[in-house]
Amino acid sequence: MIDVEQIRKGFTGTQALDGFTLHVGAGELFGLVGPNGAGKTTLMKVLSTLLPIDSGTAEIGGLSVTSQRREVKRLIGYLPDQPGVYQDMSVREFLEFFADAFQLTGAHNRTAVGHALERSGLAERSNDSVEQLSFGMKQRLVLAKTLIHDPKVLLLDEPATGLDPIARIELRGQLKQLHAEGITILISSHILSDLEDICTQIALIGEGRNARDTEGNSVIQLRAPQALVRICEIEVLGDSAAAVNILNSVAGARLLESGVGRLLVEIKGHDEQVAALLRALVVGGADVLRFDHRALGLEERYRLAFEGRRP
Amino acid sequence: MNPMIRKELRQRMRERRGWLLPSLYLLVLGAVVTFAYFIATTDGGRSNIQGSKVGVTLFLTLAYAQLALLLLLVPIFSAGSITIEKEQRTLAGLLTSLLTSAQIWWGKFVSSLLFVLLLLVTSLPVLSLAFAFGGIGPWEIFSTTVTTVLILASMSAIGLYCSSAFQRSVHATAVSYATVTAITVVTAILFFVRMSIYESAHHLAASGWYDIPLDIRAPMYVNPFFFLTTSFAPPKQLYPAWITCAGVFVVLGALAVALTLRNLRHRGDL
Repeated sequence: MIDVEQIRKGFTGTQALDGFTLHVGAGELFGLVGPNGAGKTTLMKVLSTLLPIDSGTAEIGGLSVTSQRREVKRLIGYLPDQPGVYQDMSVREFLEFFADAFQLTGAHNRTAVGHALERSGLAERSNDSVEQLSFGMKQRLVLAKTLIHDPKVLLLDEPATGLDPIARIELRGQLKQLHAEGITILISSHILSDLEDICTQIALIGEGRNARDTEGNSVIQLRAPQALVRICEIEVLGDSAAAVNILNSVAGARLLESGVGRLLVEIKGHDEQVAALLRALVVGGADVLRFDHRALGLEERYRLAFEGRRP
Repeated sequence: MNPMIRKELRQRMRERRGWLLPSLYLLVLGAVVTFAYFIATTDGGRSNIQGSKVGVTLFLTLAYAQLALLLLLVPIFSAGSITIEKEQRTLAGLLTSLLTSAQIWWGKFVSSLLFVLLLLVTSLPVLSLAFAFGGIGPWEIFSTTVTTVLILASMSAIGLYCSSAFQRSVHATAVSYATVTAITVVTAILFFVRMSIYESAHHLAASGWYDIPLDIRAPMYVNPFFFLTTSFAPPKQLYPAWITCAGVFVVLGALAVALTLRNLRHRGDL
């Protein structure tokens, strides 16, 4: 549904996108993560037809975002980071204006506005001034406005910024619902736990290019049946230096952190490799007090992919 | 109806300046007409003052005062028009809707120009006071109004260009005012300085406008007050001065429109 191939976009003195590639299938809820200045917002602006690209191709639903902008706009709903509202309009006037702007007329217009009011939970406040709404309500209103023309693709740039925990939970619920309705969603966010909860896949972007995690993937499959990398938290009795020497001899094992009696180890492979690590420690004479293993979380993958790259 | 026009007019008329500015404008214009009448009728204590002379004086004073006031007001309405969308972060919403850049521009242009035209229309009865004294006919009122509208439309287009080129309203408005100053004051100073150099160099005083070399006359064709002056000519004498000025202002306006649309299409909400 979203196909981006080797796109480049530069501004004076900076290369915001430098050969980034992305493919998002229809109906996916796809995350986009990267440090500040990685090019996420520029990518969102390119896909939403706001910015032209210098080279490469970007298509949504098979339509070029540069040469078929009008057709693309019919397909997409774009929610920018820090979206604005017209404070001096009423909630209904705000939605009616955007329904008009998407050329919805007559009964279609009224139905769309009614549906948007219902979806945002603002039906009872439809005649209130937008200025009177709380931040969370404004965010719901803007999302309802973004959905007013029934887009097939949603481009959400940091939609949870500034929301309180309850509003964030509500937003996650809304996005899951939209995903269930078959809408393709590309969402960029710094709130990794939210992305981990709702996304099917997550693309890594850094310095305008596809970044890679420790497994070499530029796209993380969050619903993969078995992760290829495991994290082992190990507690040993006494000095951990001996245990460190042992795990250095285990194939695929890498020490991430070590403290007094505590080790954090990354190991590539499945359950067999984890068992082999534990066996090596015990046979090598380490007094293991605790051995815990789990799949690599998004936050750890992110940290491993971008550590040392922060501007 | 273009949804942008409806939105813009609704928002504009809800602002406090929606009623405050027309009131102030009429007050100032009323003061100017009173002052002009006082000056025209107490000239040297003569008692045989001709009504037509009073009418012409009133008309000319009002026409120039009105243009000066409206030139001061145009940047307020046009230069902040697009920057306000950037400042309140709503421009992206407009640009990603099915509204074209041209529709967005047209909505902004019509609303800012309509407000200035509202001021122009409210002042028409004041301008028509000159009728009561004679010396002024419907043609003068018509040509003055058309010329003023052309100047204001062109300046609104330039104001909108500034609005599309800058991020902040304060910067766009400042540059817009600088442009108004450049075409009104700087062109006049340029003309008069070069004219005096020319006259002293050639030891002659030019007897007519077209005796002045074109390169010296040229800056005045961009000057709104000169353009307004050319509109006082009878219909058959509008060519070439009025037509040239009109052409210059149309070209300036068209250039501003093209650059504004380019900015909206290529710079997004940046």
